[in-house]
Amino acid sequence: MDAIANISLKIDGIEVMVPDGLTILEAARQNGIHIPTLCHHPALSAWGGCRLCVVEVDGAPRLVAGCVTPVRKGMDVITSNDRIIEARRTILEFLFAERNHYCMFCAVSGDCELQDLAYEYQMDHLTVPPLQQEFPVDTSHDDMVMDHNRCVLCGRCVRACRELVGDSVLDFQNRGGQSLITVDVFGQLGGSTCVSCGACLQVCPTGAIFDRYRTHYAVKGKSKDWVSKESYCPQCGLLCPTVSVVRRNSLLRIEGQMPGREPDRGQLCHKGRFDPVKTTGPRLTEPLVRGDDGTWQKSTWAAALDRIAGGLEDIRKNNGPQALFGLISSCCSNEELTRFQQFITTCWPEGYLDTLDGRHFRTLLGAGSLIPEVPWATMLEADFILQVGVISSQSHPIITSLTRRAILENKTKVAVIGPENPIGPWASFHLPASHEELLLTVNAICIKINPDLATDPAKGTLSHVGTKGFADFIKLIEDSEKALIIIGEALTEIGDSAVIKRLVDLAQFKSHGASQAPRLIILKPAGNSAAAWSLGVAARQSVRNQLKGGLICATGEDGWDPVLIGTPGNLDFLAVLTPYFSETLARQASVLLPIPTWMEVDGTYAFADGSGSRFKRRVLTPPPGVGSVEETLTALSGRISMNPGQPD
Amino acid sequence: MEKPKVATVWLEGCSGCHMSFLDLDEGLADILAAVELTVTPITDFKDYDFPEATLGIIEGAVGNTEQLEILHKLRKKCQVLMAWGDCAVFGGVNTLRNHIPTEALLTRGFIQTESTVDGVLPVHQELPALLPQVLAVNEIVPIEIYVPGCPPSPEAIAHALQEVLQGRIQRMPTGILHFD
Repeated sequence: MDAIANISLKIDGIEVMVPDGLTILEAARQNGIHIPTLCHHPALSAWGGCRLCVVEVDGAPRLVAGCVTPVRKGMDVITSNDRIIEARRTILEFLFAERNHYCMFCAVSGDCELQDLAYEYQMDHLTVPPLQQEFPVDTSHDDMVMDHNRCVLCGRCVRACRELVGDSVLDFQNRGGQSLITVDVFGQLGGSTCVSCGACLQVCPTGAIFDRYRTHYAVKGKSKDWVSKESYCPQCGLLCPTVSVVRRNSLLRIEGQMPGREPDRGQLCHKGRFDPVKTTGPRLTEPLVRGDDGTWQKSTWAAALDRIAGGLEDIRKNNGPQALFGLISSCCSNEELTRFQQFITTCWPEGYLDTLDGRHFRTLLGAGSLIPEVPWATMLEADFILQVGVISSQSHPIITSLTRRAILENKTKVAVIGPENPIGPWASFHLPASHEELLLTVNAICIKINPDLATDPAKGTLSHVGTKGFADFIKLIEDSEKALIIIGEALTEIGDSAVIKRLVDLAQFKSHGASQAPRLIILKPAGNSAAAWSLGVAARQSVRNQLKGGLICATGEDGWDPVLIGTPGNLDFLAVLTPYFSETLARQASVLLPIPTWMEVDGTYAFADGSGSRFKRRVLTPPPGVGSVEETLTALSGRISMNPGQPD
Repeated sequence: MEKPKVATVWLEGCSGCHMSFLDLDEGLADILAAVELTVTPITDFKDYDFPEATLGIIEGAVGNTEQLEILHKLRKKCQVLMAWGDCAVFGGVNTLRNHIPTEALLTRGFIQTESTVDGVLPVHQELPALLPQVLAVNEIVPIEIYVPGCPPSPEAIAHALQEVLQGRIQRMPTGILHFD
């Protein structure tokens, strides 16, 4: 790589050396010199729209925008004098006068870049009369409100949607002072192609896009009361870096760390940004025990733990230790998973230990243990991506975003096989195969690519095999140099290991033999599934029918598996560790013990691709009296070993 | 030396700015020692024949003909005018009505409201008529000093008064300047 030459220039009389090719704004910021900006955002491309960054170059009468003007050797830049300040203040006055920028009834007052600039430039009145135009307010979205009256048309949302998310839902419509941000084509956010990731919300410098949660100052207070805490989102195995804004142990909002150093560029998905600030359900803050009349009664920790120890001990006596089970959510941290595993293997070595997503693990196990994967970041290196059974718009929205960006930026071809097409019209090819048709479809592809890959002759016929489209699709795979296969949870959920084996073989074949890791990514159903499976918490074989009672540790994020809890409908005893009270639990369980949410505990989580792990710091304090999973299990195991009942 | 005379008026506003002024608490004693308060919103006027004053203070925007008259008369009698609060400075929350024609606004308010029976429009020669738009005071007369805020903080009001009493006319400094 050629070294970039440094050039010297003067900024505010100071001689500075900067790499050639920088803008005046970048050069100034590198040297700690402040230039105000509004439409500029460090995570987005330069725009040059608002002109607040105007500076004087070589004393020329015409001011230039610092964010888009490249530095030149010997340049003499002045970033602030009376003329520049006057120009910036006039720009602010025009912005304020154009639309409704009355701060006193704005949701983001006190947290607004436009307001901060007005304060900085002492804009204490307007010298132009306000235009008093009225624009629509879009309240159609569940999480966000778009108020065009607060918009300064900086275009950050448009650029974020296109450059970070690869979605291009937002753009401009109309002209001049009548310009508006448009959703799709003259649409509204609700019901649009918007993926609700909130990137536009995060970069919006004013109250034009704001979320529906904790917006009132009575809840969120003033910005001086807020604490920003860096952490990670463990809701899927991508572990996106986050910044949580907290006031008095109340979560106000979660943002991505922008500008992002990783290929996801600091974006978050709707789950990472909005789910934790929504009210998930009634919080459980003290143990509940089911009384003789079937109603829930508050209990002390000691009584609740005694009840669990007694209830499970009875099952051990009556049905033997193999009738006992421990199930844990794969959303739990490594520490919680290993402590739970240790608890079950110590107290009931013959008992059944599994994760709530164990069947996905067993499907993969059937296709071969330890299937190697490539990091998800390699998606942007592929020239062809085949997605099979991916419903990533729900479980891994960032994967869908990266797929769209690969299409936009690298002209990557994408083919989708499965009941759902998360890429929509951007996919080059979509085979709408039902669950039953998946094996046939994959087999048909393998036969075309390399007959050795299909060991079973395809049974039955598929209408789309043999069509022109299918031939084009096969050609896409054949021509690709760096094909990547993504296996989704819809596929692992069906439990058809044969399809997965075929796809692994296909990935291996397309990766030019066994010398390299096959270009393959397997999406996991829960945030820490990769760790739960590799730590051996998930059962290799399912033995549910003999189970009579046990313990479930659930975080509430991954939902409740009706089959899982429903199949042993005649459970004699069930204790559940959960942060939330849910109706499903209320019907099934005998004792409920409160645990912290993932926001309230430190913990280690593994990347989905097995490439490592991250330590996630907590951002909230658990409610008083709610101990960690580890503490609760320790207290419980003490009671169980103290009552070593003899099996009959 | 004679103390400077100060007149304050209350146009289309909520009195919040004057409340914020009263919120200066013991600071009021210092201000009242330095100035002579000749007119306040509770001074009873029939024709707004204000006495001459050094400083005129305005709270509220201008939304009807009476407020327009007060503002013009105050301007004539004062050397310096100071606008208090977002309503006087920018029009403020009153401008919500600027998107609605006056006739429709009055009909909705005085006839169509759900609790109104046999309502009539308040149109009478003794009553001030609404202007078609609510305006900030500097859209009508020149203003020297602006103290925005909803309401302006007591600190902002005290700062503005101290500065003007010492003969300085300046923008509100960053740190004290607030819109909410």
